Amino acid sequence: MSDAAALSNSHDDHGHGHGHIDHTATSTGIENKKLIMWLFLASDCMFFGTLISTHLIYRKVYPDGPVDPTVVFNIPLTSFSTFILLMSSFLMALAVSAMHKGELKSFRNNVLGVVFFGIIFLTCQVFEFTEFVYGKHDADGNLVWEGFTLSTGTFGSTFFVLTGTHGTHVAIGVLWLIGLYFYSFTGRMEHDIHGSAMDVEVAGLYWHFVDIVWIVIFTAIYLVEFINFT
Amino acid sequence: MSTATTDTLPHSPDHGLVAEKSALGLTRPDHSKSFWVDWLTTVDHKKIGIMYGAAALFFFVVGGIEALIIRAQLAVPENDLISAQLYNQLFTMHGTTMIFLAVMPLSAAFFNYLVPLQIGARDVAFPRLNSFSLWTFMAGAIVLNASWFFQVMQYMGSEAFNLKSGTVTLTDIVPAVGWFGYAPLSSELYSGIGGDFWIISLQILGVASIAASLNFIVTIINMRAPGMKMMRMPVFTWMTLVTAFLIILAFPAITIALAELMFDRNFGTNFFRVSQGGQPILWQHLFWVFGHPEVYILILPAMGIVSEILPTFSRKPLFGYPIVIFSGAVIGFLGFAVWSHHMFTTGLGKIATAAFSLLTMAIAVPTGVKIFNWIGTLWGGRIKLTAPMIFALGFVWMFMMGGFSGIMHSSAPADAQQQDSYFVVAHFHYVLIGGSVLALIGGIYFWLPKVYGKMWTGALSNWVAGTIVVGLNITFFPMHFLGLLGMPRRTHTYLAVNEWGAMNMVCTIGAFILAMGILLFLIDIYLCVTKGKPAGNDPWDGRTLEWAISSPPKHYNFAAVPKIPARDCWFAHKYGSAKQKIGWQKEDHGIHMPSQSWWPLFASCGFLILGIAFPIKHAGVPYMGWLAILGLTILVFGIIMWSLEGPGGYHLHPEEEDGEDSKPAPTGSGAPVSEEVHR
Amino acid sequence: MSEVSALLPENIKSENKKYHAFINLGLFLAVLTGIEIVVIFFPWNPWLIFWVLAILSIIKFVCVITWFMHLVYDKLLLTLIFMTGMILATGTVTALMLLFSFDDVDVEAVEILELGVLTLRPLLAL
Repeated sequence: MSDAAALSNSHDDHGHGHGHIDHTATSTGIENKKLIMWLFLASDCMFFGTLISTHLIYRKVYPDGPVDPTVVFNIPLTSFSTFILLMSSFLMALAVSAMHKGELKSFRNNVLGVVFFGIIFLTCQVFEFTEFVYGKHDADGNLVWEGFTLSTGTFGSTFFVLTGTHGTHVAIGVLWLIGLYFYSFTGRMEHDIHGSAMDVEVAGLYWHFVDIVWIVIFTAIYLVEFINFT
Repeated sequence: MSTATTDTLPHSPDHGLVAEKSALGLTRPDHSKSFWVDWLTTVDHKKIGIMYGAAALFFFVVGGIEALIIRAQLAVPENDLISAQLYNQLFTMHGTTMIFLAVMPLSAAFFNYLVPLQIGARDVAFPRLNSFSLWTFMAGAIVLNASWFFQVMQYMGSEAFNLKSGTVTLTDIVPAVGWFGYAPLSSELYSGIGGDFWIISLQILGVASIAASLNFIVTIINMRAPGMKMMRMPVFTWMTLVTAFLIILAFPAITIALAELMFDRNFGTNFFRVSQGGQPILWQHLFWVFGHPEVYILILPAMGIVSEILPTFSRKPLFGYPIVIFSGAVIGFLGFAVWSHHMFTTGLGKIATAAFSLLTMAIAVPTGVKIFNWIGTLWGGRIKLTAPMIFALGFVWMFMMGGFSGIMHSSAPADAQQQDSYFVVAHFHYVLIGGSVLALIGGIYFWLPKVYGKMWTGALSNWVAGTIVVGLNITFFPMHFLGLLGMPRRTHTYLAVNEWGAMNMVCTIGAFILAMGILLFLIDIYLCVTKGKPAGNDPWDGRTLEWAISSPPKHYNFAAVPKIPARDCWFAHKYGSAKQKIGWQKEDHGIHMPSQSWWPLFASCGFLILGIAFPIKHAGVPYMGWLAILGLTILVFGIIMWSLEGPGGYHLHPEEEDGEDSKPAPTGSGAPVSEEVHR
Repeated sequence: MSEVSALLPENIKSENKKYHAFINLGLFLAVLTGIEIVVIFFPWNPWLIFWVLAILSIIKFVCVITWFMHLVYDKLLLTLIFMTGMILATGTVTALMLLFSFDDVDVEAVEILELGVLTLRPLLAL
């Protein structure tokens, strides 16, 4: 069996007084919170899989719709935001590592970095969406290509709903991490480093998952459009 | 020993314990003397299970009434008892209610009540999440049925409820799109705000189901008592595990399908809008990717229940325990690969049709294996025809009949005739009523004595079983013929010239007989709970751990942690060798109990408000958008408060000795408990 | 704090080792992404480009779940759970794509089947 001190269910209010932590041992040695997050991520795979299927199906059925992705997609911008998200994932791993070592300052810096990069990613998305909706104009104000919205054919619908859903996941993650950042100042995390490290690790798993979904989206939705199959 | 210093203390097990403050500085609602506070904030899996069960039985009756009106309409040809629109609403609500508000929550009641007891745990892994699942389910159920309320109010001419759907003159507020909501019929062009009620309530119910399933998987994998290896767990717990996996992997598909439909209806997307390129067939695919695993979600818990009852009343272990579990897992896995057998007539093409046809036939194999194993369990056993046993036997036979018509469907050419006819209605009612419902009723007969500590009175159960089985067969057997003779589904009437009237009349009579059976069942429950004699710990000479403790169990379940030496551990403990006795390990610091909380209920209220505001907004009622946002805010705020309050917890020191759990509890109040708030 | 001092030196050492792994991985992922962006403009057979992208993405995916998400340091059960979801999702996406891939299902699908038979026949003859 696993030793009592090492596991699940951090109870904040057991830290003071007697100094013992009432952790219930788990049958597998895996913390409950970690297990539930992995299960949720398995479920989320099906969630994004269905959304991505919808998009890919409509791209297959209507390859020449009202919107030409190779024209509207801004590969430099999207590549930049992909790098940003990858780097945020890297900082998240460092934040988790810092928490496991009990280094709260390092944790705070790294988590702030993740939040910062996450916000940059979202800003890029907002910029991209705005450009898509209003259309591209050149320096003289002439229309280069027309904007498109949710209602523009099937491409508009599937693209915005898919990337919007991903963006919403990122936003939830950012809010979660901001919450953790401020929580680290309340003094409660020091009382139970192991439990707090588990909370941070679970948030980290969510964040990394959002990153790998973006890896799939970037490849299957953006890059693949530039391959000339005909 | 056990009766020291207790005469002067009141009998509440938590007496003297004072509720502590949470990390938010608010007092936790523990040890409340108020019935309402106790039940509304409970995180006790047993109370939650009872609430699921009560709600499920209530909605079972609601769905049943909807069915009886349908059958009354169809009793004679060219009937005008109800309008075609109301008919559509009734079969939509009947299907949605029976599946999501009756059978699934009744299964959830069993999961909640039994799983921690069967694995030797004190509660589930995340007690507050469990509470959240319950209240979110209630919110979803209320949202769906709120549509009836609004429609009735409008019908009665109430000015305040003069709702008109944005672009449509139809004002159907109750969904009429079928439980499967096929697009584009379910788009805003062809259905009123009923479509929105349907979508949002299913989304809310989906959240409840997924949250509960995540909780149960972690509980079963992580919270087992020492010695309770996976291959020593009861089959019911295994089937719960498989079902929970099916739920978390299948519901995302319908979540997305519903979200896409919602975007089409409310935000102008074109997922299923034909004029802009939408493909209605995509809805069918996405829905059935969920829909097919869903039917296995409905039947696997029932199979788990039967796998507990048959061995108990054959006085034999389950024949082929590993194979039964493996078959359950295979059924679950294959269930994801057969969804297009609901779409054989949509023109998928020869290859796809053949592939899905073959896979569907393949699924019959593990199902058949289970049936043979159940028969193998009965073979050579000392059969005792108790009430639960009669229902379990009824399940084996009736579910097989439903399985036979299912096999007939799996052949695509045959299905071309059967699809969308009453033959399908016959098939799924045999597997759902003859299968799920019979097993669930059998489960109630089996476990209610444990839940309430009272035994069933008299032999009414025989009448219940007989009436239900007779009613089931009279109602649905003729439908096989009706279907093959060409009677289509989902049509509010039929012409006299088709000569289907006589058989339909028979079906209607059968439906009322079936209803009578359900009524007798509810009466039997009432008699048991009010007049039943004390049942004792183990009235059926059971095999699994839940029979080792008192009836009803103490709120902490086990006074000491059980150490499990074998499969069917309670039976082995009673009749096996000395090595197979269950050990009991007392915990040094006492029993740790989770604290109760208001926040899950609070958060679920957010869903309730969101669920009602959203469809009403689509009808053009002002300020509903803000109300929906308020609902969402309440939900998020509740979740944040929930995470900040911390899990808390307190300790109890029961005065029973180790192993005393194995003796029948004295009738009346539970053994007294000495308090020690151990922070 | 008593809990901090309860952290064993081995714990800190293992975290530091992970730190180096993370840095290397971060750089590796950045490089792979750069390769992807460049490759789509190469004058290669489109299917080759597609498979290069697919394989690079799979590598990135596997790296993130294995190291950043700690699967390599955790119990196998977590990997199995995630893979169940992943495989099911991939299977569903593939099946759906195949179902929508043919305009004239009976003609095209049968053609592909015949192609498959023609390819297999010489193998069977051997």
